[in-house]
Amino acid sequence: MEEQPKVGPTGLGKMVLFLFVLACIAGAAYYFRDLLAPGGRGGGKQVNLDDFKKVEAPDTKGITTVSEYKYVPGEKLPPVKGVSAYKWDAQQKVVNFPINVWIGWLPIVAANGGFSPNPDSIFARKYGFKVNLKLIDDPVVARDAFAAGESHVLWGTLDMMVLFAPDLMKDSRSAPRIFQQVDWSSGGDGIVVRGSIASVADLKGKTIVYAQNSPSQYFINNLLLNAGVQPSSVKHKFTATAFEAAAAFVADKSIDACVSWAPDIYNIPEKVKGTRVLTTTAEANKLIADVWAARADFAKDHPEVIKGLVAGIFDGMDRLKDATQREKAYQWMAEGYGMQADEVRAMANDAHSTNFSENKAFFLNANDPANFERTWKNVTFVYRELGLLDTPIRFDEVMDFSALQDLDKAGTFAHQKDESRATFTPTSYKKMSAESPILTQTIRINFYPNSANVFEPQHDENGKAVANTLYDPSVAATLEKVARLVGQYERAIVAVVGHADSSMKGKGTRFEDVKQLSTDRAEAVKQALVKKYNFDPNKFTVEGKGWDEPANADDPMNQALNRRVEISVYPPEAK
Amino acid sequence: MTAASPAGGPPPARREPPAVSARAGLLRIREELPAWQFWLLGIIPVAVLLLAWMAVTHGVAEERVISPTILPSPAEVLASFPQLWFERELTRNIGVSFVRVLEGFALALAVSFPLGVLMGAFSKVKAAFAPLTMFSAYLPIPTLVPLTLSLFGTGEMQKVVFLALAFTIYLVPLFVAAVDAVDDTYLKTAYTLGATKGQAVSHVLLPISWPDIWQAMRMGFGVGWSYILLAEMVDMGRGLGGIILSSQRRGPREHIYLVLVFIVLVAFLTDRLWAVVGRWLFPYREAKR
Repeated sequence: MEEQPKVGPTGLGKMVLFLFVLACIAGAAYYFRDLLAPGGRGGGKQVNLDDFKKVEAPDTKGITTVSEYKYVPGEKLPPVKGVSAYKWDAQQKVVNFPINVWIGWLPIVAANGGFSPNPDSIFARKYGFKVNLKLIDDPVVARDAFAAGESHVLWGTLDMMVLFAPDLMKDSRSAPRIFQQVDWSSGGDGIVVRGSIASVADLKGKTIVYAQNSPSQYFINNLLLNAGVQPSSVKHKFTATAFEAAAAFVADKSIDACVSWAPDIYNIPEKVKGTRVLTTTAEANKLIADVWAARADFAKDHPEVIKGLVAGIFDGMDRLKDATQREKAYQWMAEGYGMQADEVRAMANDAHSTNFSENKAFFLNANDPANFERTWKNVTFVYRELGLLDTPIRFDEVMDFSALQDLDKAGTFAHQKDESRATFTPTSYKKMSAESPILTQTIRINFYPNSANVFEPQHDENGKAVANTLYDPSVAATLEKVARLVGQYERAIVAVVGHADSSMKGKGTRFEDVKQLSTDRAEAVKQALVKKYNFDPNKFTVEGKGWDEPANADDPMNQALNRRVEISVYPPEAK
Repeated sequence: MTAASPAGGPPPARREPPAVSARAGLLRIREELPAWQFWLLGIIPVAVLLLAWMAVTHGVAEERVISPTILPSPAEVLASFPQLWFERELTRNIGVSFVRVLEGFALALAVSFPLGVLMGAFSKVKAAFAPLTMFSAYLPIPTLVPLTLSLFGTGEMQKVVFLALAFTIYLVPLFVAAVDAVDDTYLKTAYTLGATKGQAVSHVLLPISWPDIWQAMRMGFGVGWSYILLAEMVDMGRGLGGIILSSQRRGPREHIYLVLVFIVLVAFLTDRLWAVVGRWLFPYREAKR
């Protein structure tokens, strides 16, 4: 061996060479790190919270309470192309209608007389087709079955539809057409917190857990944005389902809050010490809408079946008015879900079924503060701010009120009156503010000095009002923002608190006058809301704080910040 | 191996070299393939699959055999690559998932290696643990997610432990089999030479079963990738499983298939690495054939 002349580097040389090459590769990798392992764009991005109100152009007219859409749905809905691609037996006529475990489906279960296609069902007897209700609890599976044409209908909340729609609409045949709202979640979804968290604002810097891309995500992030808390200032932990979120919250003491479903949200505070319910959809009772959508090709080929489905579900709601029928429906539902009737009965308060009149308000009334359009736009806004939605779909590309309009003309369900409106008794601010609000939203309306008119026009140099101008051009958008929040929290009570600046403090101005001005401003905001959106005046309590509470205690002379109105949402029991 | 009959071998009729039919024709048993054939034959099915994919996803959305809402076309999948790479941080997420698999594997090894070897060597240990390993092999592992959740929280720990659990269930029987396979002759020889129990394990059973143990580890490492989705179900957001889960809800569907391709790619590369290191560690194993 030793005699052999050595060629090439020595062992040490090889080592050095190897290290050198390694260092080169590492250096190159570091240099191109943004290309090799880019950091994405989401993460700690700051949301411009003022954008929350800029989702629509200002609209200063529309002071009436009901304004129905004038267009025909077919004009805005994307046309269906190609050959229909769903499974359909023209003899049997069975609609495959998947549902999840949710009490909101009770009307359709009642109408169908159980889950399986049934010749004695309302659908078969009155409308000439059968319905096959299938339990598909996993929304992804339900979506895939819908896309594949295995089922004709997709269950979901409106916020889920916002996320599903862009992908489903890549094929015009599987585009979702939403025809009916089945219910509002009303106590079924909620937020449970640990420790000293008393309102949404306290979640800043805390850790929350919830199911991603689900109503839970919409619920909590909508709240955060409304309370002026940057979603990026909260640590989000994601799970695949709401059940896991509840389990994670119970298991992991470092998590401060979870968003989940009934019964977990009510069981946790009973079983786990130091936890309480922050808010549920019992208060935010017009936030999460359960709907169903049909495949566009199916809806196009079988408008009479769609109409029958919509009508049959309303018939089911009529049927449930009868106590014995209701018991029967619980029994059928229990069989279909593989549960006990008692367990189904216990879910009865999770949702509020929306009858014909409430559907009309949701789909057709352009002025309803919690209608389809506003809910859809609000969801779109929240998900866009979170960076989860690239190319949103317009509400009128999925909303189809044609079946509702037909039923309206026929007057079939004229007897179903709006049952969702909460009634309020006047209450005092003092009593109310003893409780802590669920959330407080600060809005800024630029009032003309000494004026309490929210629609104050601009003034020329001589102090004369200029017609068709607004001192605060974004006032309508600001009110829209408030109206959405107040509309979502339909059952909650709301405090409107006005504040004035302290520019005249110590200059001979009486505090009573300033206090009156701030009260007048709060009252003006209330009146504007009541007038345009038809809210119950007793839902609001008005208070003026004068110059007593500067917006920022560390910067009390920031007068622009001080001239403000705060909207606080209180749980209904605060009165 | 030892089945040769003592009466002088099998009957002559069987001994005749098999007729030409066995060695000729398109398919020959244990034929030596030139490299080009090896690669070509491997590529054909992949190419066919790709062509079939293109065929069923060809044309306008409404005219395809399979709708793009179920299966996007290869071109669409490719087109969504930059978004996955740049906006959804593909490489970082691969890194996150890979580290999880690695940690889970290391944890599993720490448990299953001693257990497997002991079970392979000592019948009493084997008898004690055999029912447990039998039972766990049939366990639907997804049901363990909530359990690991309540025991290990929602953080990194839970994911690693969950993966370790899946690995362990897979690895233990393979390790036992590897040690089991060591021929008794070696043990007898060792005893004859005066080996103690410990020496028999460390100088006979282990060294001889090393290559099989290595092979078991190589096969087992892939298992982690099949459970990554379940492991990352809780506190998702980082990792490849998280990308798939959220793409199922909010799209784009393309990313699901793209991530699958990358998982296969990563699994393939790590498998090659296992093979190369194995060849370097146990050159004699290759020489067997």
